[in-house]
Amino acid sequence: MSILLPDRPADGAPAPARRLPVPPRPHAGRAGVGLAVVVGLLVAAHVVAIRQTEVSITALIDGWSGITRFLGDAFPPDLTWDTVVRPGIEATITTFWIGLLGTTLSIPLTVVLTVLGARTTTPNAVVYQVARAVMSFLRAVPDIVFALIFVTAVGLGPFPGVLAILLHNAGVMGKLWSEAVEEMDQGPVTALRTTGAKRPQVLAHAVLPTVVPQLIGLLLYRLDVNVRSSLVLGLVGAGGIGFLINKSIKLFQFDEMLTYILIVLVLIVVVDQVSGAVRRRLAR
Amino acid sequence: MAETGAGLRVRGLTKSYGDRHVLHGVDVDVAAGELVTILGANGSGKSTLLRCVIGLERAESGTVLVAGESRTSQPTSVAMVFQKIDLVGRYTALDNVCSGALGRLSGARSLHPRLFPRSLREEAMACLDEVGLADRAHDPVRRLSGGQQQRVAVARALCQRPSVLLADEPVSALDPAAAEQVMGVLARIAHQGLAVLAVLHQPDIARRHSDRILGLRSGRPVFAGAPSEVDLAEVDALYAVPAPRPSEDR
Repeated sequence: MSILLPDRPADGAPAPARRLPVPPRPHAGRAGVGLAVVVGLLVAAHVVAIRQTEVSITALIDGWSGITRFLGDAFPPDLTWDTVVRPGIEATITTFWIGLLGTTLSIPLTVVLTVLGARTTTPNAVVYQVARAVMSFLRAVPDIVFALIFVTAVGLGPFPGVLAILLHNAGVMGKLWSEAVEEMDQGPVTALRTTGAKRPQVLAHAVLPTVVPQLIGLLLYRLDVNVRSSLVLGLVGAGGIGFLINKSIKLFQFDEMLTYILIVLVLIVVVDQVSGAVRRRLAR
Repeated sequence: MAETGAGLRVRGLTKSYGDRHVLHGVDVDVAAGELVTILGANGSGKSTLLRCVIGLERAESGTVLVAGESRTSQPTSVAMVFQKIDLVGRYTALDNVCSGALGRLSGARSLHPRLFPRSLREEAMACLDEVGLADRAHDPVRRLSGGQQQRVAVARALCQRPSVLLADEPVSALDPAAAEQVMGVLARIAHQGLAVLAVLHQPDIARRHSDRILGLRSGRPVFAGAPSEVDLAEVDALYAVPAPRPSEDR
């Protein structure tokens, strides 16, 4: 008799399909209770959050006239070339340089933090914990706070913006890169270890070539984010288009502000498209 | 049986994971110029034995001698080919083979394939030629078939200049034709003077290519001998499992 197929009757007619009762799913009741508890906690957290943040639809409706007045002042945008558009484009390019330099200059520090802060490459547990703590600190301090500190240290302008992006990005990208390194297939690492390869050789010939496409993808994603962050840093005196937007708001020149925002929009779209295209190409 | 002095000698290897004893004082001899195959069911300790021999796992007791000396005193003397082909997909076949020599390279020139000495690249070409892939030297290995990739892994092991080559289920993921090719390569390089110890799940392939077959059950050798001496019933008994039966409590 076949184990898998039911016996076929002698007359050639198909045998009735064999059936077995489905056993109950183990711990099904407990999982349902757990899910209900999680959903309940999430709902409670959102109710508290709405109260604490004073979210109010009526306040939004009451303030609608203010928003329409603001939009009325902003339209049409001021397209004066010499005093608005050209300075806006130049400042936007400066904003891009801040994001680019902050990202690029953070790479050496990020590489060190990645190697020391990934479980699979760190020399020991103490170094791992220290590296993770440094990354957590750099991530926990917002780039705008770093910018304020550096503005007081080195003065107004794009340079404090670059320094702020550099430090904050090293924390964020170090975490992303070290996780990518930890999640990589350890097969090539083990294989090279059996050849007698030393630690730097294993890093150079197994870890790096395996994860580099992912690391570059994450780097481009961070460039995208950092260009947008460098815009905000301008609001606290770190130069670039953010500085001009802040100035136009303070002077109630909302039509000028709208022009700057439109120029920024073009920059963000271009960076997003280019980095997205490169990342898609790397993923192939 | 060939003289084992120049090959691998394993004595009394014992390994446990907690309360589970995986190897019970296993002895294995593989002479230079000999291909020995270990057969055994999943969990019988075959892979653990190889990993203890090369030092990826620490055995509780026992000795591993290569050419009469402790393996730990000559760490590059044993090379290993894995079931999962652990090459760097972005590297070319030649670069992957060169990386087998990293154990005897040092300094900045060992940190990037383009900096490898010409002599190493020529040696790696010879290793690729040994496995029949010299014409694919500059192909990224991710573009090669599974069988070709496994042969590149064998070439990388050869580039390590080992005395002993271990192969942990090297053909399990390959189709029959590729499996024959890989085993043919392993048998040929064994007969050129290397001691080769392979773990397989295919008794027929083991019979065709091995000089000796060792049966392992629950961490203990249960038979050993030339393919013609090994009783088929003993091989079948290694994989014997109770036949599945439909449940009766319907």
